[in-house]
Amino acid sequence: MRAVAAFLATRLARALVAVWLVSTVVFVVMRLSGDPVPLLLPPDAPRSEYARVAKELGTDKPLPVQYGVFLGNALRGDFGRSIHFREPASHVVVGYLPATAELGLTAFALALIVAVPIGLVSAVRRNSLLDQVAMAVALVGQSAPTFFVGILLILLLSLKAGWLPTSGRGDWTNLVLPALTLGAFSMASIARLTRSALLEVLRADYVRTARAKGLRERVVVIKHALRNAAIPIVTITGLQFGTLLGGAVVTETVFAWPGIGRLAIQSIYNRDYPVVQCVVFLSALLFIVINLTVELIYGVLDPRIRPR
Amino acid sequence: MASSIPASVPAEAGVPSVAAAGGRVARRTRLLALGGGTFVALLLVVAAAAPYLAPHDPVRQSLRVRLAAPTLEGADGRAHPLGTDHLGRDVLSRTIFGARVSLVIGFAAVVVGSLVGATLGITAGYRGGWVDTVIMTVADAQLAFPFILLAIGIIAVLGPSFPTLIVVIGLSGWPGYARVLRAQVMVLRSREFVDAIHALGGTVVRIVSRHIVPNILSSLVVIGTLELARSIVLEATLSFLGLGIQPPTPSWGGMVQEGREYLDSAWWISTCPGLVLMLTSVAVSRTGDWLRDLLDPTLRGE
Amino acid sequence: MSDLTRRELLKAAGVAGAAALLPSGAQAQTTQKKELVVAQGGDISKFDPHFSTSSNDIRISFNIFDNLVSRHPDGKLYPALATEWKLTNPTTWTFKLRPGVKWHNGDPLTSADVKYSFERTWDPKVNTRVSTVFTTVERVEAPDPMTVVFTTKKPDPLLAARVAFYGGQIVPKKYVEAVGGDAFNAKPIGTGPVRFVSWTKDDRIVLEANADYFGGKPDFDRMIVRAIPETAPRIASLLKGEVDIITQLPPDHGERVATATTRMAGALYAGLYVLAVNSKVAPLDNPLVKQALSLAIDRELIVKELWRGRGIVPNSQIAKGDNHYDSSLPPLKYDPKEARDRLKKSGYKNEEVLIETTSGYTANDKPMSEAIVAMWRDIGVNAKVEVLEYSVRAQKNRDKTFKGLWWSDPTSTLSDPDGMFWRLLSPGGPQDYWRHAKFDELGDAARFSVDEKFRGRAYKEMTTIFLEHLPWIPVVQPYEDYGLQKYVEWTPNPNQQFEVRRFAFKFRRA
Repeated sequence: MRAVAAFLATRLARALVAVWLVSTVVFVVMRLSGDPVPLLLPPDAPRSEYARVAKELGTDKPLPVQYGVFLGNALRGDFGRSIHFREPASHVVVGYLPATAELGLTAFALALIVAVPIGLVSAVRRNSLLDQVAMAVALVGQSAPTFFVGILLILLLSLKAGWLPTSGRGDWTNLVLPALTLGAFSMASIARLTRSALLEVLRADYVRTARAKGLRERVVVIKHALRNAAIPIVTITGLQFGTLLGGAVVTETVFAWPGIGRLAIQSIYNRDYPVVQCVVFLSALLFIVINLTVELIYGVLDPRIRPR
Repeated sequence: MASSIPASVPAEAGVPSVAAAGGRVARRTRLLALGGGTFVALLLVVAAAAPYLAPHDPVRQSLRVRLAAPTLEGADGRAHPLGTDHLGRDVLSRTIFGARVSLVIGFAAVVVGSLVGATLGITAGYRGGWVDTVIMTVADAQLAFPFILLAIGIIAVLGPSFPTLIVVIGLSGWPGYARVLRAQVMVLRSREFVDAIHALGGTVVRIVSRHIVPNILSSLVVIGTLELARSIVLEATLSFLGLGIQPPTPSWGGMVQEGREYLDSAWWISTCPGLVLMLTSVAVSRTGDWLRDLLDPTLRGE
Repeated sequence: MSDLTRRELLKAAGVAGAAALLPSGAQAQTTQKKELVVAQGGDISKFDPHFSTSSNDIRISFNIFDNLVSRHPDGKLYPALATEWKLTNPTTWTFKLRPGVKWHNGDPLTSADVKYSFERTWDPKVNTRVSTVFTTVERVEAPDPMTVVFTTKKPDPLLAARVAFYGGQIVPKKYVEAVGGDAFNAKPIGTGPVRFVSWTKDDRIVLEANADYFGGKPDFDRMIVRAIPETAPRIASLLKGEVDIITQLPPDHGERVATATTRMAGALYAGLYVLAVNSKVAPLDNPLVKQALSLAIDRELIVKELWRGRGIVPNSQIAKGDNHYDSSLPPLKYDPKEARDRLKKSGYKNEEVLIETTSGYTANDKPMSEAIVAMWRDIGVNAKVEVLEYSVRAQKNRDKTFKGLWWSDPTSTLSDPDGMFWRLLSPGGPQDYWRHAKFDELGDAARFSVDEKFRGRAYKEMTTIFLEHLPWIPVVQPYEDYGLQKYVEWTPNPNQQFEVRRFAFKFRRA
């Protein structure tokens, strides 16, 4: 039990450091151009507004104090008022969150449903035509830039074939192409990793033993190999979920999907820095929480891996 | 993460054909890797010789021949094998010049990333202790975050320029080098010869440069190649989002973005640079995989 | 959830209906739809009509709110919230309000609302975007609940036209004072033919028809406005039957919309697309340089190639269709040799000439910028393009910090030069970068004169001064095109107003 606690503690500590680091970078970057106050207010704001925000941020105080104020505000969820929408930045960001969640979860589910079986079959039927084709496609999927995958899918499946809508959020048909695009990289990675994980396991001693005992191949695979391959598969898969967040920025832009990735880009174009700060911070938090959860599950599942 | 199978497969009961298939696959894999390497070499040549190879000026507009489909005789009497864009600029020429941009930024970013990553990784591995902990925590923290958000945030404040791009893209990859090199250095460090040299009065710098660096060079090359693929894609993504290379300088990502409006009519504006980008990414990754299998198979599974 | 199902059902029924009727072309052009779906090229940013002058905002605010007077697609002024108006003495206009008009929340419209609305536009504490629209007005009075009296500083012949355009929307005094500007912007209340239901950012605005509208309930129960910024998906949505009208149809794509079920509709834009000039910075402070820049632009080629012929070359700073447009003047000339000569004569020292442009906010802005910069480079000008985002441009516009030239598409709000170039180029106006004593004198006199002959002469002389000094370089007067389903009967307004009132919009029903 103590080992578990220690494990938890190190992972948690690392997560907290990551959050702290990101917030520091945000703080520094915002002040790189000098005074942060003009960045946080609409250009026609009256002097009184200017003075109020300056006082609130403590721009007249030394940098460490400012940083403290910034962190305090961030932890309370206060990132200032969106210049473009004229409402609290955190409000705006939270409003866009469900769309990203919908897209991310669907992409992830899709990736899993497609990639794991293909990886398994490829491993079992090593070097068959299926295996080679699947791995070739996976190689391309892992190397291809997400934005171009999206553009190609739009061109071929929406504009030319007319099967699916081209952009925007609506019913399930609007979800297909963006989810495919966002999930492409994960799909490819998970397929390849599942295949090699299973291959690794299939060569192991206890599998040879099971075979030597005369058990049928299928039983060998399912009962013994899979169970042991499950752990690395689960881990890798879980970690992929976090990277989806980064891919969401591009996918949402290509498909005009109204999620926080698109909000981030639009806000940068609009110089709406309060929202940019909030999105960066929130994404970091989300990402780190997800990764932490995955690592914890991993740690609990496989006692061998715990010590670092 | 190569899917290459060694030619000699342990014979498994009842599946003799797998060995033969394995041999075929191995040959095919080698051929593909060679193909990838050749493509990369070709790309380097094309990029270097761009001004002589490109049939047109990539920036010159010709309103009379806008949105021309791939043709050997356009409205201006000249050939446009990949068509023209919305300002009448030749897509082939722009793609060729775009290769320059991608490769220059890609290589520069790799240099930046590897220098930073190698320095920090070697330091962490060599020194150990709290220096190691600090460096690794920062590395993990950066890996634990969708870097693209930070990248676009930084570029938004600082503005897109060549140096900013190179530094940002370069810094996005240093943890990759650091972690691997640190592990290798730790192994090397623990070998007796290092302590012996210390005892004999050798300086840290001497030890590092004479004994450690040569041993990690192969890893550096492998990781560098894989990082090159990633950097090229990242630059294209940033240009696609409008945060990378600014028009009218041609860049593959920027060209895909420019062609979006005409996707259903003049599809070649987006598709040609995009396909070349995809091919480049695949080819460079393949080359990296092959180098890894060649130089340092222990890197697989990292 | 039921909304979704109903919409799905209607969509399916519509598509099925059209498909069933399809090969006989004429019959495919009717519908039983009760919902109007519009796709525009950007999302609205503000519902408050005094804070939005962007076309993506105006399209909505003109339908949620009413003005005292309304300009119809035929270009004439008609009664709206006011039933009559007259000049009771040279500096006094009296408007009589329409009785029985109710706000969307049930409150009655009174003259107090009108007074409040106008005073709000110029109130420095509120700091609206439309504060310069009514600078000719001295004060507004509401002697009784159905009468409004405007006193102008000097005789103003165009007041009725002024109140008809943006800035003149009437907002509810009680409601705005009670909830404050931000809440009003989040949940707007107006008197117009549609009322606000919901807004999902970057996705869609849902409006429902106002059954009690004084002009009659519009020909639909609900109106959805979707934001589809990319052109290809926007056109695809029209071609697939997902939307009924699309706006901002670029000229390159006009042909794609000419199908069995869809068509293009356009109106010659009541205004011009010009490169506005910061005439305070070198080398743009030199008239000869600006003349050279103007002569170097091959406008015919731009119209032919970038606009596919959907536009005309202007001849001055007055738009075709406005009062006092001089059809005897030739279109602006293209003469690169003359341009080079003038550039040399001007003593140009190779200073950088910069066009700061958005990308897609104004139609063809970036392609035109790149084309024009290439043309300028050809005559030896050190020209460059810089791309900005719309909000940055808006900021530079407000702070007057443009570095060189930028695109402006001044709308002729009053169908008169006073509401077009004079509104923008006058002293203290939004594009006040250049002054000329005689020009200013004439503009001021023409604004306050009721003698049209005098005004005509004044504008003619101003044109001559303009063409010499070029505070703007006019480039094109384009058509503004829309894509429609053939069962939509709708005429576009030349000044970007998107009218869904009964007089402008109707579904063709069987």
